[in-house]
Amino acid sequence: MNRRPVTALPTISAAAIGVAPLDYVDHVLDNGLRAILVPDRRVPSVAINVVYRVGGKDDPPNRSGFAHLFEHLMFKGTARTAPETIDRLTEDVGGYNNAFTSEDITNYYEVVPSNHLERLLWAEADRLAALEVNAQNFATERDVVIGEYDQRILAEPYGMLDELVNREAYLLHPYRRGVIGSPQELNAAALEDVVAFHATYYRPDNAIVVVVGDLDPDETLAMIERWFGRIPTPSSPIPRVQVVEPPQAAERFYEHRAANVPLAAVEEVYHIPAAAHPDAAALDVLETLLGSGRSSRLYSSLVYREQVATTAYASADLREQPGLFSVRLICARGVALAGARAALAREMDRLLSEPPGEAELERVRTQIVSSLVRSRQMNNSVAIAVVRATAERGDPGLINGDLERYLAVTGEDLLRVARTYLRPQNRTVIEYLPA
Amino acid sequence: MSAIPAPAPPRDAELPAPVERVLDNGLRVIAFSQRNLPLIAAQLVVGCGGVAEREEEAGLAALVAALLTHGTTRRSATEMSAAVDALGARFDAISGFDASVLSMSATTPAFPQAFALLDEVVRQPAFAPEEVERVRTKSISDLALTYANPSGLARFVAQRVAYGGAPYGHPLAGTAATLGALGRDRVAWFHERFYRSDDAVLVIGGDVSADDAFALAERELGSWRAPGTPIGELPQGPVPPPRERTVVIDKPDAGRTALYAGRVTIPRRSPDYYSALVAMAVLSGYSGRLNQEIRVKRGLSYGAGASLAARRMEGLFTAATLVDHARAAETAAVMRATIRSLADAPASDDDLVSRKATVTGSFYRSIETIDGIAGMLTEHVLYDVPLGEMREYAPRVRAVDANAVREFAARELIPDEFLVLVGDASKFADELVRAHADVRVIPFERLDLGSPSLGA
Repeated sequence: MNRRPVTALPTISAAAIGVAPLDYVDHVLDNGLRAILVPDRRVPSVAINVVYRVGGKDDPPNRSGFAHLFEHLMFKGTARTAPETIDRLTEDVGGYNNAFTSEDITNYYEVVPSNHLERLLWAEADRLAALEVNAQNFATERDVVIGEYDQRILAEPYGMLDELVNREAYLLHPYRRGVIGSPQELNAAALEDVVAFHATYYRPDNAIVVVVGDLDPDETLAMIERWFGRIPTPSSPIPRVQVVEPPQAAERFYEHRAANVPLAAVEEVYHIPAAAHPDAAALDVLETLLGSGRSSRLYSSLVYREQVATTAYASADLREQPGLFSVRLICARGVALAGARAALAREMDRLLSEPPGEAELERVRTQIVSSLVRSRQMNNSVAIAVVRATAERGDPGLINGDLERYLAVTGEDLLRVARTYLRPQNRTVIEYLPA
Repeated sequence: MSAIPAPAPPRDAELPAPVERVLDNGLRVIAFSQRNLPLIAAQLVVGCGGVAEREEEAGLAALVAALLTHGTTRRSATEMSAAVDALGARFDAISGFDASVLSMSATTPAFPQAFALLDEVVRQPAFAPEEVERVRTKSISDLALTYANPSGLARFVAQRVAYGGAPYGHPLAGTAATLGALGRDRVAWFHERFYRSDDAVLVIGGDVSADDAFALAERELGSWRAPGTPIGELPQGPVPPPRERTVVIDKPDAGRTALYAGRVTIPRRSPDYYSALVAMAVLSGYSGRLNQEIRVKRGLSYGAGASLAARRMEGLFTAATLVDHARAAETAAVMRATIRSLADAPASDDDLVSRKATVTGSFYRSIETIDGIAGMLTEHVLYDVPLGEMREYAPRVRAVDANAVREFAARELIPDEFLVLVGDASKFADELVRAHADVRVIPFERLDLGSPSLGA
């Protein structure tokens, strides 16, 4: 057989992986609505995203969970349309739709054959301009959201952990309330809260329309102008969260016990700066280095070699305002949490004591750049990336610089960033244990 | 704001045109170009899967596929993971009934090295004894999780009831008994016998010209030689009708009862396939008939739907839902009546417009990525459908009319269908027996999926 006699690690330079910049049109209507259009005419399909800059952190006082409840109400019909109109306009023509609420944004999206683009723009403008919620569908939808809380937070084995992370890591900032909120506060909400919330945040100058796919930019801008252009903008300012979380000075600890915890888990959470901060790229690289793929540090040491954990990963949760970096592990059966945490501590100490070697760093850069290229394949994932860059970092064009920013991260950068943020004094530890 | 604007005229997708060549060693290569992003994907399809394994070795093909990702004669399992990650590649190996598929994708500059890894994996697997043990142990413990879920268990039972001892009857994942008896020798034997150039197809495409794709295939896989041993005759249909029509697995600890109704039906290559897809769309989805009757009108379940498993030989139609034990018999009657409604109260041509759109829409979404295009081409190759038919997929779906759906359902979905229930039989068995003469109840402890008659 004619085989190459090498078994060395294959190598590739991440810098060799090029990706063409996204060509886009960015336009602001007179009423303040921003439209960003990315043509890609390969497949006769478009992804439409309408994002409002309002999320869990903007919930009214004593109304935690309200932005998310409101997202559900946006499907309940308008002065002109019946409930579930958006479902009919998407599913019946071979498309789909959904929405999500995060700490910072509420994003509504549809994927449809491109000849239906204008119908969805019409329907999105209609629910911005003429949403109509009555007492009955308000009460029904509130029950649905509380049911979602019961199912996702209470019934799932590690469902409460994300809520605890936000609640314990932040002392003052409203990020501490999470997104799903509390059933008590949702039950206290009334129909007049809905009207006030819509008037405060659902306005053209707080919305961004992103369309990606089989579109003509001029025609699409004309459609957006036609349906969104006449929606008035209130003169009142949009309220923005001004609270600044004070720097953490010492490690904090919280223990949670519950009956439905099959195996003990821990999450260690560190404060990090906002998504637009120059250190954000290095934090993304640290996330991949620690937790992505079978060769990542946490998987190869804690899961495969030492077998103290069944899963172990890291997450750089970069937000519009300062966010969180966390590492989470779930113990292997029969392993005590203290032992697993000691193994995790060795990995975190290593991060603070020396920069990663060039080969490891190159592998991580290649992983990041490769998944960035993969994410460009689907119109809706491109649209969501544009939405996040614009809403959380202020500029869709930042997407085109991300590849360069990841490639520029050095081992010394990672050491400096790890020492700046991943210090025990800046950490909250949440142990999640069987009752 | 005035009324909603009308849709513009639709535009059809331009699908990439696949090009085919056969290497000297018999390997069929199908290449396509889609050059908008620097990504290339390859799927190596080996024409043997679970159909080639003996009843008493159920799970062997799946075990072989899983072990292919666990090291070669040149690289340990850990070294293989490091190599795949260093290239930013995605690598996966799975086995179905009709084939085993190895998938590798990577960015353009990384792809040649990633493709060399794929070649190494398929031709020089180590099957190290400790990795065989690791994967076998995990497979057996995963079975316990599958059986704990009534829907997962009902699917395996439905397959047995439908096919009995014919191909496609046994569980692909094996049973604790069959997996327990499998060792490295049988794994190596299966690989040697069935992973061969003269029964494999390589689909490769993305940011690469057809000529360059053929050159890559020749460079890595051109020296792959088929063994001297013949591949042998694989089992063939036809499938006898089920011996029992209504089977209950009594599992008192199940949270809810899973219901499966179904019937053995057409192979993927049948010209009726597109009518079948439209019939499935009439039954499935939120506004599909099953969900309307079972969830929306009666609140019996959170959801219900139907599907057709496309196969080389006769595939399997199933409708499924999950309900409270006490309402299982009632739901079974509603489910059967709903399937029959395809003939008794057929959908009109107008009704079909939106149902056909859901089929074409999901087809177009499935080919949005190069892995999706490769997968669709693989489906055509695997089931002996002419490659050119992929370009006619949407037009053929649109050409299906009300009469075709009604006629297909009356002939292929309704006669002699079987019914499987997995749940607490004490809550529904009496009511079920009143409606069906031939109910067979099997206690879960006596169920043997390794036996064509389900044991007992």
